[in-house]
Amino acid sequence: MTQLFSLPLFWAALTIAAFLAGQQLYRRLGNNAFIPPILTGVALVVSCLELSGVSYQTYMLGGDYLNQMLGPVVVMLAVPLYQFIHTMRKQWLRIALAVTIGSGTTIACAVLLAHVWIGDDAITRTIYTKSITTPVALAISDQVGGISALASAFVIITGILGALMIPPLLKLLRMDEPQTLGLTLGICAHAIGTSRALELGPQQSAYAAMAMTLTATLHALVLPWIV
Amino acid sequence: MSGLLTLLIFLLLGSLLQTLLHLPVPASIVGMLLLLLALILRGKTPDNLQRITQTLSPLLPLFLIPVSVGIITQKPLLAEHGTLLLLILAISLIPGALVSALIMRKGGKSGL
Repeated sequence: MTQLFSLPLFWAALTIAAFLAGQQLYRRLGNNAFIPPILTGVALVVSCLELSGVSYQTYMLGGDYLNQMLGPVVVMLAVPLYQFIHTMRKQWLRIALAVTIGSGTTIACAVLLAHVWIGDDAITRTIYTKSITTPVALAISDQVGGISALASAFVIITGILGALMIPPLLKLLRMDEPQTLGLTLGICAHAIGTSRALELGPQQSAYAAMAMTLTATLHALVLPWIV
Repeated sequence: MSGLLTLLIFLLLGSLLQTLLHLPVPASIVGMLLLLLALILRGKTPDNLQRITQTLSPLLPLFLIPVSVGIITQKPLLAEHGTLLLLILAISLIPGALVSALIMRKGGKSGL
């Protein structure tokens, strides 16, 4: 058993199995945005590590096979971004303003609260990346001196909270037109918000995907200079 | 596979440019912007890129699992600040969502 646990390939295979299990669960529950496949996948792998007593370093020898794909995947985001530039040309100014000021507001609040309530420099630097889709957040948090293991958790939790809170909040305030709701979900709750938007309707989901990609690009360009 | 090769070439170009110009922006983001520029200049998305995007997009969460599992190395920190962090993440969403939604609506009314 110990021998098996020391094989990198074992952990790579286990990660894929955990992801597939997460995907199955997600589909069985009718694509419920609150149980994204990544959450189940992470929970399963973490449980296996806890039970076997294997260290994260040993796990990562295998996990790194999959991790290496993040670079090309971030480059790939240019494809949807290019399509959005085409389709949303008429509203570009207000979309740009909403993405810039809206995402700036949520980050400023989080950074301020973290600074005042916790006051740990590495945590504050990590929380800057909370509203951008995970692959980009990880790349940035490395760059600005954050903790990538934590960045990913902040992003996933933010996504789930946003998918949970934003639709009822905007509905309560009667600001839940499809375009507005989609855009807000994309800005504040990135990919998880976008998958929630997918359940709400095609307009919501198109605007969410666009806002998510724009927010990630903007933050990737700006954060390394200001953090 | 030629789509994947394109992505890798742009990632390499991104790393190269990042190193040469000492950019603080991650190499993958530089590569993404270069690819975006190439697409704008070309005027359409080539089929091979379209195909690789359709193949890789559903797998994105899989590639994110290994780093996310790193959360187990942060147990002491979470035990100390976990509740507070959750509260910060929840509270900070509200003003962000309101500002985003307001700008999008106002913009719609004033024809921006």
